Amino acid sequence: MKKQTETLNRPDNTAFTQQRLPAWQPMLSAGIVIPGFVVIGLAFIGIGVALFVTSQNIQVLERDYTGVEQNSDNDCSRCLNRTNCVCAVQFNLAKQLEGPVFFYYGLSNYFQNHRKYGVSRDDYQLSGDTYYFENPEDDCIPYQYDSRNRPIVPCGSKANSLFNDTFRLYRLVGGQKKQVPFDGKGIAWWTDYNLKYRNPTLVDGSLAKAFNGTVKPVNWPKPVYELDTSDSSNNGFLNQDFLVWMRRAALPGFRKLYRRISEGEYADGLPTGNYSLEINYNYPVHGFDGRKKVFFSNVSWMGGKNQFLGIAYLVVGSLCIVMSLVMLIVYAKYRFPDEDS
Amino acid sequence: MCKFLRYFFYKNFAFTLVHFWYSFFSGFSSQVAYEDWFITLYIVCYSSLPVLLVGLLDQDVGDKLSLKFPKLYLPGQQGSLFNYKNFFISLCHGIFTSLIIFFIPYGAFLQTMGQDGKAPSDYQSFAVVTASSLIITVNLQISLDTSYWTFVNCFAVLGSIAIYFGIMFDIHSAGIHVLFPSAFTFTGVASNALRQPYLWLTIILTVGISLLPVICIQFLYKTLQPSVGDKVQRNRRKYEAEEEEKKKPTPFQRGRRSRRSAYAFSHSQGYADLIASGRSFRQRPQGRRNPQESIREAPQAENI
Repeated sequence: MKKQTETLNRPDNTAFTQQRLPAWQPMLSAGIVIPGFVVIGLAFIGIGVALFVTSQNIQVLERDYTGVEQNSDNDCSRCLNRTNCVCAVQFNLAKQLEGPVFFYYGLSNYFQNHRKYGVSRDDYQLSGDTYYFENPEDDCIPYQYDSRNRPIVPCGSKANSLFNDTFRLYRLVGGQKKQVPFDGKGIAWWTDYNLKYRNPTLVDGSLAKAFNGTVKPVNWPKPVYELDTSDSSNNGFLNQDFLVWMRRAALPGFRKLYRRISEGEYADGLPTGNYSLEINYNYPVHGFDGRKKVFFSNVSWMGGKNQFLGIAYLVVGSLCIVMSLVMLIVYAKYRFPDEDS
Repeated sequence: MCKFLRYFFYKNFAFTLVHFWYSFFSGFSSQVAYEDWFITLYIVCYSSLPVLLVGLLDQDVGDKLSLKFPKLYLPGQQGSLFNYKNFFISLCHGIFTSLIIFFIPYGAFLQTMGQDGKAPSDYQSFAVVTASSLIITVNLQISLDTSYWTFVNCFAVLGSIAIYFGIMFDIHSAGIHVLFPSAFTFTGVASNALRQPYLWLTIILTVGISLLPVICIQFLYKTLQPSVGDKVQRNRRKYEAEEEEKKKPTPFQRGRRSRRSAYAFSHSQGYADLIASGRSFRQRPQGRRNPQESIREAPQAENI
């Protein structure tokens, strides 16, 4: 009798339960670690050199046009407390800026990554759900209903704070201003344009009618269905500038793509010469000590100019090599002095 | 078990403290640095199985060798594998890893643009990069800590990383955004971010900086101050070979099994029966022999 109860409670005698599974028991031996470190160090140094050299070859032109400092190249300080002001930034290119050139606007001390800011949007509205046109989500407060209790579309502070400075670039040739054409197609993510955001279905063939009963965000000059009246594929929620703005930045200083310069005679880039960038200065940032900048840049396989990663790889690679030498010396000197167990 | 505990604290510190560093750059608004779904699934799905298997199946020294070296029990008695000092070391390791996981992508994202010039340094790509580096670092760290690699361990580590990427691509797909627009807002991020070589290089650098010092320090410790377990492990093959040697039968076929006596009485039968029967010197387990019986039998043999 006793034997039977014993066998009932006895654990299974399988490899798994008795911890007898076949296994590999590697050891961190010197033969693996030291050559491994050398190989990794060399690889990292190689990658670091490639990144650093590529980054050095990228050209970037940056200009601050907030108007807080009295700069000689722009007159935007007179726009600080005025509305509907146009100012210009002059710059000179000593070397050709190789194409295709990308034109960015940048903001600093601007916390698009603030939690409440990021939450303040209605994704249902932005995917074209008209039920939420009449009942915006509570996350959008205080930009949910206007003072007369009409629903705001698109609601929320993220949409409300849409960047509204506009830019025109002129090249000064022989005392005359020649406008450089900008290309605004496809500046937002393909997935944003095609999958994430949708316009509501047209009513009587008109986008404007689909927004009946709603009002534009408080700080917008025009409603969302008039963002680009010349191109219906760039209107409403699918407006490229709107999509670029809604793609939230990670850090308080960021850049957003405005336009590309890649057409016609500028396909190879911006030739040397004098340029004038005219700006419709609408967006107020000096109230919170922010800064507005513009960037002209070209890109490479690694993206834009950033020396951090190249330098980091070089440093880590060299440290690896140094540590492998140290480990080799330690191993050679202190090689297992006590062999007995 | 101590490995399990130390690693558990380490991985959770590495995961959580990234938000602390990020808060310095997000206006202290408690903005999460990862996607919300990642936070939910990290503890449950992406990092629990490997460490569970380590806790269950890991052996630094096999059972037979453990019996041979009683000194291996000393760490258990002294509580030297998990105490305040070890916990503090795990904490520091977690802090160091979280600093690397945040600041390397921070530096990479500081002033950059995507490969096609688009969407430079956006929040969702940043979340994906930090989350991916975290998962890869944490899973490779457990594989460094594992000293007994069974196929379930391999499967768990590789499976966790694979599940992470699989679920991430699912959550970032268009289909699920159409179904639940408000719950899944990271549409298209995984495919956009992870097709850029620059971000992969960032991830590789992050994982490298997190793990290489650990390997280096472990190696130096094992060389300069090996513990008892380390020494046994190092010479494990030698000891196991010795064990095998002892188990083999000796070349001479006589031995314990044979009951034949060593005496060779050529002229008479000898006392072989007396000795070989084992009655005089061995206690049989089934009941005790009647003393009278054994005495009576012995004179019979002498009378031959």
